[in-house]
Amino acid sequence: MARFVKTQRELEGRFEDVFVLVDDDDPTEPWEAGAELRHVGRPASRQDGLVRVTGAARYTVDVQLAGMLEGAVLRSPVAHGRLTALALDAARAVPGVRAVIGPGSEVGYEGEPLLTAEPTWVGDPIAAVAADTPEQAAAALAALAPVFEPLAHVVDPDEALRDQRFTKDPVEDARGDVDGAWGEADVVVELEVETPGHLQTPLEPHAAVARWDGDDLTAWVSTQGMFDARTELARRFGLPKERVRVLTEFFGGGFGGKQGAGTEAILAAELARVTGRPVRVVNDRHAEQLAGGRRAWTRQTVKLGARGDGRLVAVESAALVSMGQGGFTFPVNLPALTLYEVEHARGMLFPLKTNLRAQNAFRAPGVTEGVAVFEQAVDELAAALGLDPLELRRRNHVDRDQASGLPYSDKHLLECYDRAAELAGWGDRERLKEPQPDGLLRGMGCATQIWWGGGGPPAHATVRLDATGHAVVTTGIQDIGTGTLTTATIVAAEELGLPLDRVRVRGGDTAPNLYGPVSGGSMTTPAVMPAVRSAAGKVRRTLLGLAADLYEIAADDLTVVDGRIRSRDGAIDADVAEVTEKLGNATIDGSGSRGPNPAGYRVHTFGCQIAQVAVDAAVGEVRVERIVAVHDVGRIVNPLGASSQAEGGILQGMAFALSEELVVDPNTGIPVNATLDDYKVPTIADVPEVVVEFVDIPDPTMSTIGAKGLGEPPIVPTAAAIANAFAHATGRRCRALPLTRARVLETLR
Amino acid sequence: MRVALDVNGERHVLDVSDTRRLVDVLRDDLGLTGTKVGCAEGACGACAVLLDGRPVASCLLLAAQAEGCSVTTIEGISRGGPTPLQEAFVAEDALQCGYCTPGQVVSATALLASLPQPTPEQVRAAMVGNLCRCGAYPRIERAVLRASGQGVD
Repeated sequence: MARFVKTQRELEGRFEDVFVLVDDDDPTEPWEAGAELRHVGRPASRQDGLVRVTGAARYTVDVQLAGMLEGAVLRSPVAHGRLTALALDAARAVPGVRAVIGPGSEVGYEGEPLLTAEPTWVGDPIAAVAADTPEQAAAALAALAPVFEPLAHVVDPDEALRDQRFTKDPVEDARGDVDGAWGEADVVVELEVETPGHLQTPLEPHAAVARWDGDDLTAWVSTQGMFDARTELARRFGLPKERVRVLTEFFGGGFGGKQGAGTEAILAAELARVTGRPVRVVNDRHAEQLAGGRRAWTRQTVKLGARGDGRLVAVESAALVSMGQGGFTFPVNLPALTLYEVEHARGMLFPLKTNLRAQNAFRAPGVTEGVAVFEQAVDELAAALGLDPLELRRRNHVDRDQASGLPYSDKHLLECYDRAAELAGWGDRERLKEPQPDGLLRGMGCATQIWWGGGGPPAHATVRLDATGHAVVTTGIQDIGTGTLTTATIVAAEELGLPLDRVRVRGGDTAPNLYGPVSGGSMTTPAVMPAVRSAAGKVRRTLLGLAADLYEIAADDLTVVDGRIRSRDGAIDADVAEVTEKLGNATIDGSGSRGPNPAGYRVHTFGCQIAQVAVDAAVGEVRVERIVAVHDVGRIVNPLGASSQAEGGILQGMAFALSEELVVDPNTGIPVNATLDDYKVPTIADVPEVVVEFVDIPDPTMSTIGAKGLGEPPIVPTAAAIANAFAHATGRRCRALPLTRARVLETLR
Repeated sequence: MRVALDVNGERHVLDVSDTRRLVDVLRDDLGLTGTKVGCAEGACGACAVLLDGRPVASCLLLAAQAEGCSVTTIEGISRGGPTPLQEAFVAEDALQCGYCTPGQVVSATALLASLPQPTPEQVRAAMVGNLCRCGAYPRIERAVLRASGQGVD
C-alpha cells in the first residue's frame, strides 16, 4: 500500500518539510558493502555516447519545426535607466517580423513581467521579437532603437555597503560566546580574501522552442529542471500542468545556471502564442554571459582562534556578497560554522544589492567560495602555530553537524586525508621549496571539501520488460552531462539480472509524468536510483514468478543473472527471453519511488584535495602541476562517470582560482568581458595531472543504494588547495582570487 | 547570391544572402545540426568543420567563402559508422554534456590525418581551440592518443 510520509527535503542546504508518496511494501534491501555485484561499481561507457560523438544528439538549439520563427530579445545596454522611447511600430514594419512585444504590450502571461521599462542591470530584457529569419529578428531589434534616461547605478560592493543597500536583511548564525572566547586562544589569525564573479558559461546557451497546439503547450527547454519548467509555464499561461510538455533530451551544460523555464522559454511561449507559430529563442554568447547567471563576488573576513595544540576555540566569518538584484543567499559560511569542531562560532552574511543580474546557483553555490577563503585562513593558522596543515585539520575533525547538532550519516574524511597525502607525496612537500632547476617556485597545499549530496524524495521511475527480454526504464532525469541515465542503466540491469545492453533508460520528457528532481544539489543519483532499483525489483520478482509457473518450480528457487534464469539445482538455465516471449504483446511493469531519508542524521559528502603549483615569479604565472582528489561520496555506481565528474569539477575549480573573473566597469556598470574571448575558461593546454580516487564505502543511511551525489563536491576545495599551494611556494598570501599575473606580481613585490 | 557548396561529398546550390555564415547554411538550410554554435566569434571551436581537410571555425566563414572547397561536417565523418576516434571518445568517456564534442572530433580527425602518431603535447596544441566547459580534457587527450594506436597507461 502506498502512503504519505512527512519528511525533510534538502537542496543546497535549504531544508523544507514535504509529504512524499512511498511504497511501503517494497522488500528491496540495501546492497551490502563488498557485495558481489555484476554492474554496480564497474566502469560503463555512457549509453548515449555514440549519439553524442556523431553529432546526432538533438539539443534544444537544434530543434527545427515547420513554420518555426526565430525569436530575439532586446537587452538593456545600461546598468540602470528609464526607457523613454522604444520604436515598437518601426520594428513591426521590418519585413518578416511577426511579433514585437515590449514592456506592458501584448504580454499574455501571468506573474512578474519579464520585460521592463526600467532596467536594473546590463542584460535586463526590454523587448522581444519573432521573425521569419534570424537576420530579420536582428533587424527588428535594431529598429527598436531604445532610448534610456540614465539613472544612478551601483556595481561596486563597497559603495553598496556604504549605502547599506541589501537585497534582504544581513544574516547572522552564531553559537557559543564568540566575543568572549578569543581570550582563551593562544593564537588568533585573521584573513581577508576576495573571490570573483564566476560565470557558469555552458557552451549551449539558455535556449527554448515553444509550440502551441490549441491549448496544449510543448516546450523544448535547455534546463536543469524540466518539471520546474513545466510548473512555471503552466502557472504563467494559466494552464493545468498536464497541458504542458517539456522536453530536455540533451542539453549542453548548466552548472547550476539553467533553472526552470527561464526567460527564454516564457518569451518563446508568449511569442508563439501571439504569432500562432512555433518560436525558438536562443541567447547569443554575449547575452548568455550577461544574463545566464553567475557565482557572486564575495569578500570574506575569517578570524580563527586556537590553542597551542591547534584545537579551535572560536571561528568568525563575515562575508560580503555582491548579490546583484537578488537571489538566494547561498551558504558561504557553512565551512566556518561546521567544517571543524569549535564551540564558539559566528557567520555573518551581508547580501549587497548591486546593479547586476541576480546571482544564481553555480556548482556548489556558496560553499565553493566559502571554502576558497576559509581553508586559506586555516592554513594561515597552521603557519602561525607551526603545525602541518593536514595535521591541524585532523586535530579539529568533527563527527556531527554542529549547525543542527545531528550526527553525520557517514563520514570518511580522515581516510581521504591519509590517501590524498600518500598519493600527493605530502610528506616530502618541503623538498619542493628547495631551489628548482627551472627557477620556478614550487609548493603544495591542501583543502577540505564539504557539501550535502543526500538527495531524497520525491523521485519516481517505471520499468517495463517486453517479450524480447529487453527492459525500458522511464525516469524524470534530464541528463546534464553527468551520465545519470547510464547510472540508472547500471542500477536497473543489476536489479533485473540483465546485461547492460538489454536495458535502456529514458528521460528528458515530462510527458510520462514520472517526476525527477532538478539536475542540481548533487541529488540525481541519491534521489532517483533507489526509485529505479525499486521498480526493477518488482519486475524481477514478477519475472521469476512467471518463470516459476512455466518451469513448475518455486520462484524462491530461481535467480536471474546475466540475462539467464537459473534454478538453484542447476536444472534450469534459460535465457530470460524464453520466459518473456510467452508474454506476446503484454509486458511486465513495475513502478518505484524514493523513500524518505532516515530522521536524525545530516547527510554530507567530504573530501580532500592537494594541489602542487609552480610559480614563475618573473612574470607572475601560476601553473598547477598536479591535483590529487580523494572524496567520500558513498558508493560509486559507475567509476568511469564518477572520475569524469571529479575531473570536470576540479578543472572548473582550478579556473576559479587562476583565470575566471567577471570584470565590471564601475563607471558604466557594464560587464566588460562577457565574451568567450575575454572571459578565460580553461583550455586543454591548462590541464594539470589529475589523480582521482573515491573512498567508495556505501552510506548505510542512503536508501537501498548507499550512493551520494558527486556533481558538486569536486569543485569545492580546488581553489583553496591551489591558493594554499601558492602560499606555500611563495610565502605570500594573495588577497584576491583569481591569481592573475597582475595580482601575483603585486603580491610578490 | 547563388552559392554552390560541396558538403560531405554532396553538391548543394543555394540562394543565400552574401553575409550568411557557413555555420548557418549547414545548420539551418541543410539541417546538419551536429555542427554547434558556442560563441559565434571563433573562440570555442564548437562549430569546427573540415574545409579541404583543415579544421576551420564555420562561424567565422561566409558561406560564399566555402565555394570550391570540400566541406566535411561531423555528419560526414560519421557517415560510414563511428570512426575509431569516435569509439575512443566513448570508451574514454571523453565527453560530458557532449555539446562541444562534434567540434572536438572534427579537430582531432584533422590532427590524426596529418599526424597519425601525435605526442600528448601535439594533441594539446592541436586541440587548444576547442573549449570543453565540462572539463573532459584529460579524457579527450587520452581518446586521441588511443585512437592513434598509442597506449595510455
